[in-house]
Amino acid sequence: MTEKHMLITGASKGLGKDIAEYFLQQGWMVYGCARSAGTIDNPNYHHYQLDVSSAEQVSEYFYSLRKKIKHLDALINNAGVASMNAFALTPPETFRKLFGINVEGTYLFCQKALGLLKRSAAPNIINMTTVAVPLKLEGESIYAASKSAVETLTQIIAKEYGNLGIRCNAIGPSPIATSLISGVPGHKIDKLVQSQSIKKMATPADVINLVEFFLRPESRMITGQIIYLGGIAR
Amino acid sequence: MNTTQIQEIIFSALTMTNHTREDNNQIPIAPITELYSKNGYLDSMGLVAFLIDVEELFLDEDIKISLSDDRAMSQTKSPFRSVETLTQYIVELLQE
Repeated sequence: MTEKHMLITGASKGLGKDIAEYFLQQGWMVYGCARSAGTIDNPNYHHYQLDVSSAEQVSEYFYSLRKKIKHLDALINNAGVASMNAFALTPPETFRKLFGINVEGTYLFCQKALGLLKRSAAPNIINMTTVAVPLKLEGESIYAASKSAVETLTQIIAKEYGNLGIRCNAIGPSPIATSLISGVPGHKIDKLVQSQSIKKMATPADVINLVEFFLRPESRMITGQIIYLGGIAR
Repeated sequence: MNTTQIQEIIFSALTMTNHTREDNNQIPIAPITELYSKNGYLDSMGLVAFLIDVEELFLDEDIKISLSDDRAMSQTKSPFRSVETLTQYIVELLQE
């Protein structure tokens, strides 16, 4: 049986690490990357330190990855940063950082992975968005705008590369207790959760369930979709 | 890598493309073959799939090239108009 290969960005902590560990348990070979050192000790896990928004570093990474593997079954663009601030008070550096990591990082990894994905029997890209997009959350204008761009990329990539068999979908988690929302006041998180159809905090397992759903061969007709947790709709 | 070797890789990618096409719609494996032009054999997405194969075949030879170019989708200015223009484009990329 052919080995299944997954590449996941932002794999050193939080949701990315949880997803990586889960699929390692399922027998996948997992290639993770992050700005920080790897924190997963598993012979089937290979970590690479890089800045996902650096075209040069990403290109170099794929060049080295290409020497190890000849196909890629799943690319999970999980690396992301958030920022909570009023639009009027958001400095340009924050805008550039958010768009650099969230949008340019996703663009670079999707583009560079196409060749390896094309050689897979069932290739998938899964991008990460946020419920801040459909909810138009105040205080998250730049973060939500960057993830809107990710959603549009997801849907156009799905259209452009569907004929190569590559499916591309996105997951929009509702609040999960990770470092991404550690700077958001508790009462704001509570208010957000109360606005959901399912008034509960999500867990990494809820996201992993969706990742697994998208990757299933039975999901072969599902592409260009954005699924939000918690019952939030556009 | 010389021009002939570059052209051989392009021919290999064309052969891979032909595997996905009907017998009566094969692309001639020749230097003068037009790829993405008014009379080219490839549509825009066919060109993209073909160029991904070209990049991958170069990586098989341990050579990293990037065929992303803002002129790619122009049928008059694209460096991917024919096997000849693509070959020349790659020669120039490898000299950079």
